Amino acid sequence: MLQNYFPILLFVIVGLLVGVGPILLGWLVAPNRPDPEKLSPYECGFEAFEDARMKFDVRYYLVAILFILFDLEITFLFPWAVVLKELGAFGFGVMVEFIAVLTLGFVYMWKKGALEWE
Amino acid sequence: MSFPTVVFYVLSAILIFAGLRVITAKNPVHAALYLVLAFFTSAGHWLLLESEFLAISLVLVYVGAVMVLFLFVVMMLDINFEKLREGFWKNAPLAGTVGLIMVGEMVLILMSPEASLGSYKGAAPLAADASNIRELGRLIYTTYLWPFELAAVVLLVGMVAAIALTMRKRKDTKFVNPGDQVVVRRDDRVRLVKMAAVKRSEPVAEAESADQQA
Repeated sequence: MLQNYFPILLFVIVGLLVGVGPILLGWLVAPNRPDPEKLSPYECGFEAFEDARMKFDVRYYLVAILFILFDLEITFLFPWAVVLKELGAFGFGVMVEFIAVLTLGFVYMWKKGALEWE
Repeated sequence: MSFPTVVFYVLSAILIFAGLRVITAKNPVHAALYLVLAFFTSAGHWLLLESEFLAISLVLVYVGAVMVLFLFVVMMLDINFEKLREGFWKNAPLAGTVGLIMVGEMVLILMSPEASLGSYKGAAPLAADASNIRELGRLIYTTYLWPFELAAVVLLVGMVAAIALTMRKRKDTKFVNPGDQVVVRRDDRVRLVKMAAVKRSEPVAEAESADQQA
């Protein structure tokens, strides 16, 4: 069973090496002689006025949380799809009810305008 | 030491390091990214336990969706973290006490004879073609039907709560509604007014020509 996943482990290790290797190599080999002028922030020739990090609009949060909810819904569909033939009509009805409850929420948010990006 | 054991220890080391960095990193965005690393290594642990569906859903749901949400929340908050850190030593004794109590409870549970972790042999290895997701499907949609349908209701409540808490109509945006744009007719926008012809008086014409010259 676990042997089936050995290629994935190799893939992860090679991916890490390809990603981290060049950065490490550059850090070790490249000349590094910083001075205050080199390290000073450059923004069209004048000093930065304020922190570049600013607050996000709260509506991004709404989009993200709606995405999570439907992501979870999809997750429940995978095991169901695999065993649907064994479960038969009963299993189909179970999922219809599950989707119906979430569709209720979907209609609610559609009507409420949560999907509008004004 | 077998190869899976080596992988387990490597993953555990990464997981503990990532977990420590989550709470010690100064930049909250870095902390969130270390949490992503912790989720990835936990997914590796799930794979070692031969529950691949949970591993994949951990990566898909937590790394793909929940961490995006966390990053949004971190970026939305306008918190001065230097100010938050000022009270560190003042609150340290209380936090340490709570932490010690939690560790003590955990040790008591794990060391108790009822838990019998010492004599636990671990699950028998599955056959190469055993399907984890098939077993899950057989259980969720029959035995655990009730919790499954409850999950739908919990998701619905979450959806409604998120909309109720964060839906704000902004007054200052100039939003175009394409539907309204399409259905608009000529009569809604243009009004033809009948009026008698008027002879233009001379001084106005002069002023206009002066404007054009200027």
